[in-house]
Amino acid sequence: MLKAENIKKTYNAGKKIALQDFSIDVPTASIYGLLGPNGAGKTSFIRIINQITQADEGKVWIDGKELNPEHIRNIGYMPEERGLYKNMTVGDQLLYFGELKGMSRAEALSQAKFWFEQLNIDQWWKKKLSELSKGMAQKIQFVVTVLHRPKLLILDEPFSGFDPVNANLIKDQIIRLKNEGTTIILSTHRMESVEEMCDFVALINNSKKVLDGKVFDVREQFKQNVFSVVLADTNSDSLEELTRKYQIENMTTANGLFQFELKNSENQNILLQDLLKTGTIRTFNEKIPSMNEVFINAVQS
Amino acid sequence: MKNIYLITKREFLTQVKKKSFIILTILAPLLMVGFGVLIGFMFKANEAEYHFDVVDKSGLFAGQLKSTKDITYTFVPANTENSLAKNLKDLKGTDGLLIIPELKDTNFDALENGTKLLTNKKIGMDTKVAVSSDLSNILKKEKIKQLGIKEDRIVNLDKNFKLISQNVTESDKPESDLAFGIKTALSMGLMYVVFMFIIIYGVRVMRSVLEEKNNRVVEIIISSVKPFELMMGKILGVTLVALTQFMVWIAMSVTAAIFLNTGFSAMQKNIPAGEENMMKNLDIQQIATEVSHILLDMNYVGIIGVFVFFFLFGYIFYSSMYAAIGSAVDNETETQQFTLFAVIPLMLGLYGSFTIMNNPDGPMAFWLSIIPFTSPVAMIARIPFGVPLWQILLSISLLIASTLLMVYIAAKIYRVGILMYGNKATLKEIWKWIRS
Repeated sequence: MLKAENIKKTYNAGKKIALQDFSIDVPTASIYGLLGPNGAGKTSFIRIINQITQADEGKVWIDGKELNPEHIRNIGYMPEERGLYKNMTVGDQLLYFGELKGMSRAEALSQAKFWFEQLNIDQWWKKKLSELSKGMAQKIQFVVTVLHRPKLLILDEPFSGFDPVNANLIKDQIIRLKNEGTTIILSTHRMESVEEMCDFVALINNSKKVLDGKVFDVREQFKQNVFSVVLADTNSDSLEELTRKYQIENMTTANGLFQFELKNSENQNILLQDLLKTGTIRTFNEKIPSMNEVFINAVQS
Repeated sequence: MKNIYLITKREFLTQVKKKSFIILTILAPLLMVGFGVLIGFMFKANEAEYHFDVVDKSGLFAGQLKSTKDITYTFVPANTENSLAKNLKDLKGTDGLLIIPELKDTNFDALENGTKLLTNKKIGMDTKVAVSSDLSNILKKEKIKQLGIKEDRIVNLDKNFKLISQNVTESDKPESDLAFGIKTALSMGLMYVVFMFIIIYGVRVMRSVLEEKNNRVVEIIISSVKPFELMMGKILGVTLVALTQFMVWIAMSVTAAIFLNTGFSAMQKNIPAGEENMMKNLDIQQIATEVSHILLDMNYVGIIGVFVFFFLFGYIFYSSMYAAIGSAVDNETETQQFTLFAVIPLMLGLYGSFTIMNNPDGPMAFWLSIIPFTSPVAMIARIPFGVPLWQILLSISLLIASTLLMVYIAAKIYRVGILMYGNKATLKEIWKWIRS
């Protein structure tokens, strides 16, 4: 859906590089995570898509067309720095932003009503923003972002400021939107939300893309072939044989259970057979690195 | 264009709906009137009326020394002098005793030196001066009479000379003092209105920009509309707010004027016969007709047209400057350094325009009303006196050109500035934004 090619963006007349040779490909109806520490260049890229700033070099396409002002109506953007008008009522505010995105007043009204029911906030319509708590304002911010039914949704740190209950509520809505065909770009430095939600991910560090791909593939790519095993009723001879054959670490025993990690790059079935000989298998699972570990590994290498 | 309209509408509605706006719009004129009344009352309250008894042994002053608003003179027989002087301390209803000695052999010096004012309280400087000038005026006449000049000639001596001036290039009618006075007042009034309008509402534009920047709401809006649209919508919205406020104030003053006017004519009917003469000198109605005649005699359509033009363009010129300032800083305390750029030229225009009153065709008046930074104020100050058409056209075209340029420059600063958080831009940086 969205394709960026060799984007370069600099500030201060080229002295500070924000993005360099940055290319990604975001498929339609997917959640694409932009991952990276603060200052890596995520916001710069998002601002280019939103046409707030222009790239120095490179091109962006949306649905096969080069980025142009027409696209703005199909983009919903929730910036990391949240903000709404404090002394305007929630209702007026929503209608205003809807109209700015090219909706008619009636259309904006019916969409706003729909979202207010979805998020259980229909009693807030006449309240001023200054009367709402921070979490409540965040919900309004989300509605503002999705009101005009954008095909592309760009969320910068969408869960910051939400309590766990509301974060879940928003998460469900994001996933529902994806299932209805919306493409979502999610920028964050919180890795765990990526693992839960994203289909694809790109890691950015120091203005460069470090790696990208399906979340599954990326994690596979960084796995160390380490398995964690818990055995019961172990046969000590076989155990000795096992320690000779495999590289075993972090062995502990408690309540007659042997717990350890081992590395195996060969066929897992052979390993399982060896383990079966050694004792009763209580647990056997491959240790797949978290995004956090992937990120640290990718940045270090 | 639709976006500019939406932004203008929002800006207008939020500002107009604010309680502070409603209160200020309704209360400001009332407060002004109240303040004026209060000041007047304070002056009045400190004013004292004095009552002096006069013992005039010379006989020169009886009938000549007339009571005024503040001082009442009562002539008493000379034989009461001693008892009055003795009891003065305890006397009520009189504040002092003025004793004028006999005039011997037309020796006025002796009379002057012998005149005494005994008082039973402290008397202000003003009153002392008033009494002594009352006396010396009468003495002066008396002295002149002694020289053998008749009374009607003395009156003739005091007559003021009125200079009638006429500008032969403008009209065939001689210009009265009143006309010049009215033009000066009109010129000052219009000039102040423009000056205050630009500063007050320019700052309002700046505040509104800063508010959006501090709210971070700007990032959302900028992802929907162009920075230029946002800036222009803001400026136009605030203009409408100002115009609304003006309309309300004008409506209020017209209503008040009509009300006062009917009250005034009712008052005139009730004037007792004796005071009619006093009123005649002042004949307010005649002055009012004359004033309106002079106002209508001027090219008022032209004046209004020029006023509206310079008013709007001057305002857009300066408020785009204010919008740029608002975008380049992070909070209101940081704006001061930059607002000088907007305030100083306006001040120059304002104070420079005072010299225009003295010399409406001078070089200062010319340059101030041509240079775009000062022309919105100075041209308006000049216009009631009449300005050659070519100068107006030159000034208008320069103002249009520089307003467009200023909006362009401001839009460039604004575009970058509104997305810069946390630090104040330096002049060097701003220069870079303008050039990029």
